Amino acid sequence: MKIKEIMTRDVRSIDPKDNVFDVLVQLFKTKISGLPIIDKQGKLMGVFTERDALSYVLPSYIQKVGKFIYEENPKSIKKKFSELINTKVTEIMRKEVITTTEETTLCEAARIMMTERARRLPVVDLEGKVVGIVARCDILKALAKEAEMSLGR
Amino acid sequence: MWKKLPILIALSIGFGILARNTGLSSHQALSISIFSASILGTLFFWDFRLSFAFIGVSILLISKAIDLENVVRFASLEVILFLVGMMILVGLLKDSGFFAWLIGLILRIKNLNSDKFFIAISFISALLACVVDEVTSIVFVVAAVLEICDYFEVDPTPFLITSILATNIGSSGTVLGNPIGILIAAKSGLTFEDFLVKAFPLMILSLLVAIFVLKFWYRKALADLDKKIKEFGYNEMLVKLVSVPPERDLKVSLAIFAATLFFIAIHRRLELFWGLQPNTVLLTMPLISSGLVMIWKRTKARKYVEKDVEWWTLLFFMLLFAQAGTLKFTGATDVLAKNLLGLANNSVSMLMSIVLWVSAIGSSVLDNVVLVAAFIPIIQSFHDLNINLQPLWWALLFGGCFGGNITMVGSTANIVALGILEKERGVRLSFFRWFWVGLTVGLITTSIVWLALVFLPFFG
Repeated sequence: MKIKEIMTRDVRSIDPKDNVFDVLVQLFKTKISGLPIIDKQGKLMGVFTERDALSYVLPSYIQKVGKFIYEENPKSIKKKFSELINTKVTEIMRKEVITTTEETTLCEAARIMMTERARRLPVVDLEGKVVGIVARCDILKALAKEAEMSLGR
Repeated sequence: MWKKLPILIALSIGFGILARNTGLSSHQALSISIFSASILGTLFFWDFRLSFAFIGVSILLISKAIDLENVVRFASLEVILFLVGMMILVGLLKDSGFFAWLIGLILRIKNLNSDKFFIAISFISALLACVVDEVTSIVFVVAAVLEICDYFEVDPTPFLITSILATNIGSSGTVLGNPIGILIAAKSGLTFEDFLVKAFPLMILSLLVAIFVLKFWYRKALADLDKKIKEFGYNEMLVKLVSVPPERDLKVSLAIFAATLFFIAIHRRLELFWGLQPNTVLLTMPLISSGLVMIWKRTKARKYVEKDVEWWTLLFFMLLFAQAGTLKFTGATDVLAKNLLGLANNSVSMLMSIVLWVSAIGSSVLDNVVLVAAFIPIIQSFHDLNINLQPLWWALLFGGCFGGNITMVGSTANIVALGILEKERGVRLSFFRWFWVGLTVGLITTSIVWLALVFLPFFG
């Protein structure tokens, strides 16, 4: 089975002009943790997830400081969060995105997801235009189907 | 990249031709040419420095400028292993919450005022840089400074610059503060006690003068902070902002680190007592401690070795040392040393001044390890010319550390701290905002060292 058979063709995406706060509202409404950002020509610009928002809001040095516990919320976090409304999503999106193509096999897409720790892969054509998206659950469902089992709807 | 590459090639070939025309042999000229390509490589293509080092050493081997045995000898494995051991120990300290605990200490300063804050961050920056390396220590001081400045809503830049300048000054205080410290100790025969007795007090004196200058330089920022402290009142929220779990790990880690420091501090006495080769205890203590740590924290041993040890940098150091060693091996540094001595009119004071100011100005644009690695074989060559080397080693140490303050790219600590400032607060410092204060502090502190080395026989 190939990716083109299981991918979602109607891709929900983020407008590059949107601010981060509006995008977060959009994510919460649709209950999706991340979406691709696509330009007017349909080309992939990057991906934005809730994790990117958290990593922007928290100080970048927390990983270097080692083990500690925040007993209070630092003032800077409140301030940085309120800046999200003035921050373009393109400023903090991840630009290096792992993609796949329509002709990729299920196992190859699964392998990419495992090795690159990706939850979903945008599917692009030869010109780099986004033609679909495939998530881990799509792969698992398709694998179940090939094993003649069912994971429900 | 393609614009700078021809400049690099032309310059390094030019240095080689110049060396050949001034009477050096073809191997000596080649070693100078390759070594200058490596130095220029770190200046023009920082991200590719390891590639330059790999290729450079290979060319030196293939052209028979050096042999395999001497590449290994000059690569200074003893220095590299010492740094590996210390990096593992710092990894443990990080994991145990030691640095967060230190940040907490700064946040908990009682009856905070701008003077107390300013002096505290300067001393903590300098002293922390003395016991762990400067790049590690600056991250934690930056974290504390940013939290406090955020709380009182003041511009963190002056305080951050102060901490960075103090960190670079402090890194000259002991063998552990900077990779050039251990490199000089390993090659010069100077002991940790020599550093404590001679370098440390001179570092403290330079720090005090720097604090005085900086307090005047940033008087407006200090007045603003005082005003805000009065407005916001007690730093209650900061006091309980962070805590460290679990305490037992922190205590054991601190005990291991303190014991390591203690044995390192008395290494020469132990070596004499046990009849060991010089520096055996100095270089093996971090290995013994990190070996014990890897037994204690066996599930994390691989993480400490793979993540906390900066292999990229250490590999670069090894190959850089091997390339600098080729200068000695081919005899190029003997010729350079003779010429330099002639230039200095056979005066040790003059020679020391040249080493101090060239290394200070050089390390304001180059990585100080590169510069010191280049100078070491030259200074070793002075030994054969019956010159008292000690003032030269101190000049190299202080020049290499204090010169890093002159420009914003002068030391790795500067780059790391300013990178955090830009990422966290969107503040991108202009070259001159740093340069004037950095140059002032750099010149004043280097002059203090120069006066001490010229007029105090203690350093001779």
